[in-house]
Amino acid sequence: MAASFASTASVVPSCGAAGARRGGRFVARASAVAMAPALGTTARTHYEVLGVGTAASRGEVKAAYRRLAREVHPDAGGRGDEGFIRLHAAYATLADPDERARYDRSVARPAPARAVGFRPRRWETDQCW
Amino acid sequence: MAEQVYTVASDSETTGEDKSQPSFPDVAIGIDIGTSKCSVAVWNGHQVELLKNTRNQHGMRSYVMFKDDNLSAGVTGGATRENAHEERDILSGSAIFNMKRLIGRTDTDEVVQASKALPFLVQTLGIGVRPFIAALVNNMWRSTTPEEVLAIFLLELKALVEMHLKHPVRNAVLTIPVAFSRFQQTRIERACAMAGLHVLRLMPEPTAVALLYAQQQQQLMHDNMGSGIEKIALIFNMGAGYCDVAVAATAGGVSQIRALSGCTVGGEDILQNTMRHVLPNFDSLYAGQTMDRIKSMGLVRIATQDAIHKLANQESVEINVDLGNGQQVSKVLDHSEFEQVNRAIFEKCEKIINQCLVDAKLVPEDINDVILVGGCSRIPRIRSLVLGLCKKEVSYKNVDALEAAVSGAALEGAIASGVTDPSGSLDLLTIQATPMNLGIRADGDGFAAIIPRNTTVPARRDMLFTTTHDNQTEALIAVYEGEGERAEDNHLLGYFKIAGIPPAPKGSVEISVCMDIDASNVLRVFAGVVKPQGPAIPPFIEVRMPTLDDGHGWCGQALAKMYGKTLDLAVLPKKLQP
Repeated sequence: MAASFASTASVVPSCGAAGARRGGRFVARASAVAMAPALGTTARTHYEVLGVGTAASRGEVKAAYRRLAREVHPDAGGRGDEGFIRLHAAYATLADPDERARYDRSVARPAPARAVGFRPRRWETDQCW
Repeated sequence: MAEQVYTVASDSETTGEDKSQPSFPDVAIGIDIGTSKCSVAVWNGHQVELLKNTRNQHGMRSYVMFKDDNLSAGVTGGATRENAHEERDILSGSAIFNMKRLIGRTDTDEVVQASKALPFLVQTLGIGVRPFIAALVNNMWRSTTPEEVLAIFLLELKALVEMHLKHPVRNAVLTIPVAFSRFQQTRIERACAMAGLHVLRLMPEPTAVALLYAQQQQQLMHDNMGSGIEKIALIFNMGAGYCDVAVAATAGGVSQIRALSGCTVGGEDILQNTMRHVLPNFDSLYAGQTMDRIKSMGLVRIATQDAIHKLANQESVEINVDLGNGQQVSKVLDHSEFEQVNRAIFEKCEKIINQCLVDAKLVPEDINDVILVGGCSRIPRIRSLVLGLCKKEVSYKNVDALEAAVSGAALEGAIASGVTDPSGSLDLLTIQATPMNLGIRADGDGFAAIIPRNTTVPARRDMLFTTTHDNQTEALIAVYEGEGERAEDNHLLGYFKIAGIPPAPKGSVEISVCMDIDASNVLRVFAGVVKPQGPAIPPFIEVRMPTLDDGHGWCGQALAKMYGKTLDLAVLPKKLQP
């Protein structure tokens, strides 16, 4: 696993950082108040990608998704697909109650990292799905 | 809207000429190429404007007439009044129509088989190559291709738009059926390139309608100063050739396509079923396509079409046709008979609506509006069927059934061209979904879907595979698209080989296959060995799909015959994945 990271890291500079981010678990500066949209490489959790608190309602998640989609979707002037793919992954997880519960559990108790296969260029995140 | 950097495709024929920037404001036009009728619209700076032809029609019959050395398309319909084509002329064998049903299909396709009942020549050999199609010119069948016919039509359409706008037109957004394969999409792009049009976007028809709906909802919200409440619309679109369903969630000008489903049934099938009912020996009468038969079948077709139209507003209709040679068709057709004859078609419609709702994870009660578009949405049975499944009394009123798709395409054209509007009416975004599973052949004849249908695009997914033989050094990646469980039941998009796999016991090597669809809907496949690692591993391969330049139905079989199972892959079982 570590070896696979090392050998693909040259293709994908941010992969190493992504691995490090996994360790530095997050969470719960929770509040329903929306945090500043934390897009770009600083985003860590799905909540941060959407800029919502961990207590955000489904409606707030959807609203944040739409608002941010208008910034990061390639058709809306976003650069590349990465930003939107990450945003959508965050939305898809948090808008589905079961997925969200599973995600919340996995974040609270970190699971072993998923296999990292080949990652094509422009890859920036480890949180896509 | 960022200008999409145009990638030079490996399939150079679809990319055409250079992309020099024109000096005039190049707003992409919207084109709805219907199986039966075609329309074109453009953003005029304030709103979408549908263009009319010289005969004052918005909807122009989709056909090309071959006469002597003259070609003329349905855009002008014969140009002058005295030369005007009538439906009888179009059905004389000299015109090719229904291009949208024929384009990019092989001669084993059932849609092509059904097209043999058309008045022009559709000849099939049943071996998985493109059908031979020809128009009757001076009592001789002259060959052509669906792409060529469509290009001739688009050329005439482009001239009409340029005459209207008084400047050259280059870019276009076209609507396509949901059921169109990626291979068919390349054929549309090819026809456009032949006509000098650059395709900015190919939009599934119901998603174009969804965009128009999103615009209307946003306008309503502005007017009422309302809140951005999410509205769910089910769009049902049925034309002459295809039937599509989309479920879209709309709020704040963002239209999110939750699910798409489509099939190849349409008005043409309803017409043919009804013709066979009216004239039970239709097929035997029509066999051979002699001149007098073509003429009499044309008459039956016109009379049946007319009867179906009348049935939308009356209980029963009388069909009378003189076939010549003393043969006469005389029949009274009522609703129940009509519905019985076309039962299979209505069932198919129900099936794709239900599937779309399931895929969108919604129940009928979640739907706010049901939007019925396309010519067949006028058929009472279709209306009641869709509304019934969605548990609604009435359909959405604010769209024109025949103009909604082209209007949405013109909106997308303006947005994609970077046009902004001070009133905010172009402040819209469509988040598309991919309508069909994309994957590769694995586990014998199986199909491993890497990007499942209705995945939001842009999307990227990967999957791990492994070898099926000890010391297997090569593997075939055969990329398919479709809903079938077996690879061969789907459309083959292309294939390539991974060579230089390090010799190892079967099941121990890990091969990653990653699929990427970008915002322009371009599909790329990346594949290579990820385990073991090291300098002895060959580089990854990136392939833009589809690579097939003809819809060869037999490529998959040829590969199987040549290589058997020697290059097979298996899905790496989940439990073995770290």
